[in-house]
Amino acid sequence: MSEDTIGRRGFLKAAATGALAIAGLKVVRAARASEPEGSSPNSWGMVIDQRLCTGCGQCTLACRAHNDVNPEISWNRVIVAGEVDGKTVYLPRPCMHCEKPPCAEVCPVGATYHRPDGIIMMDYDKCIGCRYCEVACPYGARAFNWEAFTGPNPAVPEWGQPEVARRPRGVPEKCSFCYQRIDRGLGLGLHPGIDPEATPACVVACPVGARLFGNLNDPDSNVSQALAGSPHYRLREDLGTGPRVYYLPARKEA
Amino acid sequence: MASIGARFRGVLGSFRISPFAVWVGILGVILLVGVAAGLMVFIKGLSITNLNDLVPWGLWITMDLSSIALSAGAFLLCAAVYLLGLKQLQPVARTATFVGLIGYSMALLALIMDIGRPDRFWHSIIFWNTHSVMWEVTMCILLYFAVLILEAAPILGGAAWFRNRWPKLAGQLQTVHQWAPVLAIVGLFLSLLHQSSLGAAYGVLKARPIWYRPDMSVLFIASAIAAGPSLTVLISMIAARVSRKVHVDDRLLERVGSFIGWVLVVYLYFRFWDAFAMTYTYTPGRTEGLQLLTRGPLAFNFWVLEIVLGALVPIIILLRPKLRARQALRMVALALVVVGVVAYRWDTNLAGQLTVVTYLPSEIITRYTTYVPSPVEILSSAGVLAYGALAITLGVRYLNVVDHRTRETDIHVVAPAVALPASD
Repeated sequence: MSEDTIGRRGFLKAAATGALAIAGLKVVRAARASEPEGSSPNSWGMVIDQRLCTGCGQCTLACRAHNDVNPEISWNRVIVAGEVDGKTVYLPRPCMHCEKPPCAEVCPVGATYHRPDGIIMMDYDKCIGCRYCEVACPYGARAFNWEAFTGPNPAVPEWGQPEVARRPRGVPEKCSFCYQRIDRGLGLGLHPGIDPEATPACVVACPVGARLFGNLNDPDSNVSQALAGSPHYRLREDLGTGPRVYYLPARKEA
Repeated sequence: MASIGARFRGVLGSFRISPFAVWVGILGVILLVGVAAGLMVFIKGLSITNLNDLVPWGLWITMDLSSIALSAGAFLLCAAVYLLGLKQLQPVARTATFVGLIGYSMALLALIMDIGRPDRFWHSIIFWNTHSVMWEVTMCILLYFAVLILEAAPILGGAAWFRNRWPKLAGQLQTVHQWAPVLAIVGLFLSLLHQSSLGAAYGVLKARPIWYRPDMSVLFIASAIAAGPSLTVLISMIAARVSRKVHVDDRLLERVGSFIGWVLVVYLYFRFWDAFAMTYTYTPGRTEGLQLLTRGPLAFNFWVLEIVLGALVPIIILLRPKLRARQALRMVALALVVVGVVAYRWDTNLAGQLTVVTYLPSEIITRYTTYVPSPVEILSSAGVLAYGALAITLGVRYLNVVDHRTRETDIHVVAPAVALPASD
């Protein structure tokens, strides 16, 4: 009978549509690359006090040593930002670890991803080196390994010992908020931002204490307290990227 | 001296080097140089290019985007033949399919050099970030490449030398042709997606104000719809001129030419409003990017190659029947469209990267940088181009890809039954 055939065809069609719909939903659900998977009680953030920063660059050197960074690359650049009251103002620029990271959204293979604690991570073993993330980052926070970094690291041992593996040629790299120190420190029961061993190397190295690190979710943390007490800003807030790095601006003396 | 020259000519004459052999020889040499340059890239890495952290995308990306845009004839003509039922265009679709197959393989070659970790190219297939436009583009390109291989299979199966040697395999390859309508639908779907989203890959980046426009995808597909058939028709016309064995129906090619003319009008219309709207009010980065095009280092490319020669002149030639009928003039027009779309891809890619928007809090200012491809980038790209030209030359000669006298023997314009029992 024709009814039976139509029924079978209809069933097949419905089954195919259903399968497609489920697959589609899965794809859409997986599509929120800018959102972290899972949850964490911590939301790491950094506060940089431009009133104190002298532009000495020790943060950059400590970063290079602890993360074994090529001397031609700076995960943490210190930029001259202008002048206030005749004094030069500096702007140290790590990765902003954005709330809505453009780099993680565009990465075709998901090599850059969002940790629940807010850190934007790079999986250097997954990356294919297309550099879309580099083009997408508004902060120039990423540097590509145009060639392999071989030989000794000039920042070692004076500024610290490497704690992570060197990145290979052909992948971009960036600041990770020294995730290795945070993760190891938490495992040892330490408090990132308070205990130096669990705090990013740049924060520990700063000779004038211009950098603070801590949990933005905790209203009593040093970063939350610093932000509650003073005016602050973030870089290119107009873009809606939601950086986790806050700056306390240098201002004219009243 | 004259006698030496004469003797030399005599020696050459005794070898009877045909123009075909000279052409293939030249392409072969460029191809070898390109392969050497490509190997150098793989061995030494991207440090031997002039790419840097401010301009990470350069000549190879332009090659990649241009090859894909110029391959758009395949999906368009297959859709015209198998979906719109314009059966008389079938031989042109055959050429377009072959050109498309070669074009996409050129894009893949350029890409494999461009990525920092070519050894991990397969990661893009198994690791998915479905949120990324690049993921969608990658998937579409790979799937569409498979479609093109299937669509081109009957071309190989139909070649006499192949049929004589492997008759059974040739027959199997030719049976793929019955799937042409289905392949045309899949190809249309995949192409409309990635041809547009290649523009969107730039268009979604808020960090680059000159790119961050919703029209990027529209402009990319409109220019591809003009440029793809242009290359197909141009190759058909050149083939018919240089080889006595190639037969074309010029009325068909003329018809496609007039279609291209109208597409260019639509493209120019979108392009005009897109650019015009950007001239109002100052937007950091965007205004500078536009100035780079209209009166900066890209001004010649923009005004002369993209707008005047790439669009206005071809529109006049292709839409005036008297001008279009003159074959030499039509060929010039089609070549200009091809040049125009390559210039458009090059300029688009650079306008967003040569303008660097700062993130300093005091004011958002724009700084400029420069990019000139390194010799190794140029030579390897020339190698990819030579590969494409060689493949198409051999296709014309040995696979009859330009032949308007042949029709596939068993054209089913209606979709083949998917082996379902008839209802009554």
